[in-house]
Amino acid sequence: MRRVAITQVAQSPGVESRDNLMDFTYRVNKELLDRAGMKREEVDCVVIGSSDIFHSGFSCANSLDWDGAGAFMIEGTRAEDSMFAFIYGCMRVMSGFFDTLLVTAIIKGSENPDYDTLTGFFADPFYLRPVGMNETAAAAFQMRQYMERYGITEEQCARVVEKNLGNALYNPYAHVKKRVSVDDVLASEVVCDPLRALMCAPKSDGVASVLLASEKRAKKLCEKPVWLSGYGCSMDHFNPGDRDLLNGQLPAAASKAYKMAGIKNPRKEIDVAEICEPYAFQELLWCEKLRFCGEGKGGRLIDSGLTRMDGALPVNPSGGVLAMNPYVSRGLYRIIEATLQIRGDAGEHQVDKKVKKALAHGTHGFAGQCHSVAILEG
Amino acid sequence: MGRAVAIIGTGQTKHGRRNDVSYPELVREAVVAALNDAGISLRDIEGVVSGTMPSMMEGVSDTHLYFAEALGSVGKPVLKAETCGSTGQSIAHCGFYWVASGAADIILVVGSEKMFEGDGQATMTTVADPWFTKPFSAGAPMVFTMQSMEWIYRFGISEEKARDAAALISVSNHDNALENPYAHIHMKVTLDEVKNAMIITYPVRLLDVCPSSDGACAIIYASEEKARKICKKPAWIKGLGFRGEEFFYGESNKSIWPSATEAAKEAYRQAGIRDPLKELDVAEVYNPFTYQEMIFYECFGFCPRGEAPDYVLKGTFLKDGQLPCDPSGGTLCTNPIGATGLIRLAEAALQVTGKAGERQIEGARLALSHAMGGIDQFNGITIVGSEL
Repeated sequence: MRRVAITQVAQSPGVESRDNLMDFTYRVNKELLDRAGMKREEVDCVVIGSSDIFHSGFSCANSLDWDGAGAFMIEGTRAEDSMFAFIYGCMRVMSGFFDTLLVTAIIKGSENPDYDTLTGFFADPFYLRPVGMNETAAAAFQMRQYMERYGITEEQCARVVEKNLGNALYNPYAHVKKRVSVDDVLASEVVCDPLRALMCAPKSDGVASVLLASEKRAKKLCEKPVWLSGYGCSMDHFNPGDRDLLNGQLPAAASKAYKMAGIKNPRKEIDVAEICEPYAFQELLWCEKLRFCGEGKGGRLIDSGLTRMDGALPVNPSGGVLAMNPYVSRGLYRIIEATLQIRGDAGEHQVDKKVKKALAHGTHGFAGQCHSVAILEG
Repeated sequence: MGRAVAIIGTGQTKHGRRNDVSYPELVREAVVAALNDAGISLRDIEGVVSGTMPSMMEGVSDTHLYFAEALGSVGKPVLKAETCGSTGQSIAHCGFYWVASGAADIILVVGSEKMFEGDGQATMTTVADPWFTKPFSAGAPMVFTMQSMEWIYRFGISEEKARDAAALISVSNHDNALENPYAHIHMKVTLDEVKNAMIITYPVRLLDVCPSSDGACAIIYASEEKARKICKKPAWIKGLGFRGEEFFYGESNKSIWPSATEAAKEAYRQAGIRDPLKELDVAEVYNPFTYQEMIFYECFGFCPRGEAPDYVLKGTFLKDGQLPCDPSGGTLCTNPIGATGLIRLAEAALQVTGKAGERQIEGARLALSHAMGGIDQFNGITIVGSEL
């Protein structure tokens, strides 16, 4: 297998943009190509990550996205999720057919209905839709189970919000910028018991792009290429009632990625993790599953301060999904943030340690049905 | 250039109005058929690629989540690729690159659609933008009809001749479909019936148009090493190309159709084909409308620009002609959109491996498969051969 490098990255801020979707897409991709000093035609291939349903009322998302992504008359394709798009792009480079490849993920949350309306459409028409299943409802089941089984407290979940929104104050691209305390979180209204409003991610705009390159081109396109060293993905059963919500497929996805990257002890070897936590408690649960701490120890992990920006294993120094949630693009945002941390280009939210290996994680579906984990190395 | 990749198994459902199964059951039917054809089990599959036309066609979005059990993808890596009507070719390419990159050895690719559970034309109308294109778009026929007229006038083809050729295409496709047990429409039609059928949008009449179908298709890819072990006669992937053009319909030249032309050129370059009409033995062209099929013939270099009707009337593309096109009856008789592009590839693979039954073209060794999607925007091509 050939190696793949991330050479350049570009992202849009999460606040509501005044551009239409096509211009919004174009600006970020133009910025990316300018940084690489490339013209649109010089890119070998474009892979778009966008979803029909999170797409401002246009179906066939790729039809509209094609122009803004600069894919006119270039080899290209589209995947339904940004993590899928990223790894598919990597595969295309690894296959030897393409040397430079642009991956872009597109969503304009401000033009979409509420996420719960849309994620309700994941549900099948016979069993889950009539009872109003959506991602928030599934997460509430999961959180209640988590609290009951391991004694995780609401305060510990609230501490995740405090930490991540605190980190987001230093990230110019983050959507939600306010300092909240644990008490603020616990005082916010219940949206779906036991989930409170501040424990749930917002709805953001977000176009993110990365330029991938093969080994022979990577050095020319940037000073510090970041290499993909491991990847894992795994799919769980569809019906949340058919699975143990606390033992999903994340360990399977993570161990594939660790094995590929040759990582034995993730807590020691990984320097920064960017995790997809649309609901505060999920950061704790996913940290357990990624083997950053023992089973049921997620609460102690956040209490210990290990995952703070100045801790031994910073998690979500960018503010994570709680500060910015462009649904389809959020996986690629994690990749980009991990890349910036490895390069030392993260500016004010750069962690103050040498970052060699970073982990990026993306998930979608009810209670984390589909997980993807990527390991990046400098 | 990556590793060699082969198709070791294909599976199709019976297409048509499938009220007897739910959507996941339909998908499962194709998966099981492909596994049986390849003689392997789900345990051997290392990853699954799934795809449909816009997920909302059936009112369920992100269907790869819903199909987790049906696809047998629980505990396995998944990818989902989608490019409207060309989805079938896009997922085929996705599976190809997955194996070619060395990330996996055996990959299952599944395309599916259950159009009788939704309103296909209403869904397709939401592809166009709401300000400039949507006010005069009425589902798929608007786009393709405008393109047909543009092509007829751009090359000065007489409308009668184009009409006659389109009628012949319709008749021959319907005849071919009679020999295909999977096809949706099984009926014999005559030239006069086609020419006098109800007008949909001038010049397109009812028998020039594909149906809406329920159906699914699955194919299994394997790396060279595995394919030689598992399969006696695999179909090797020789070349592939995909191109897309601009979103606004009015800005592009649809009579020349650059995306179809360039995608074909790319696939020919990889397969080392110089004269497609001579070298190809069979073509599975995506033909939801008869007039489109003629434009594709020109784009793929089967004949000079503006001369497709002459070649059609000469019988070049009939089953006993120089280059048989759509011996399966094509998209014109079966169109479960998300699966259609993959069905074209599966049929091409059946042809080059000699497994196409009654619709077999004698001695077929090199076949082209194709799908088109978007507002006439996207074209994907995959060429398969019986030898590496």
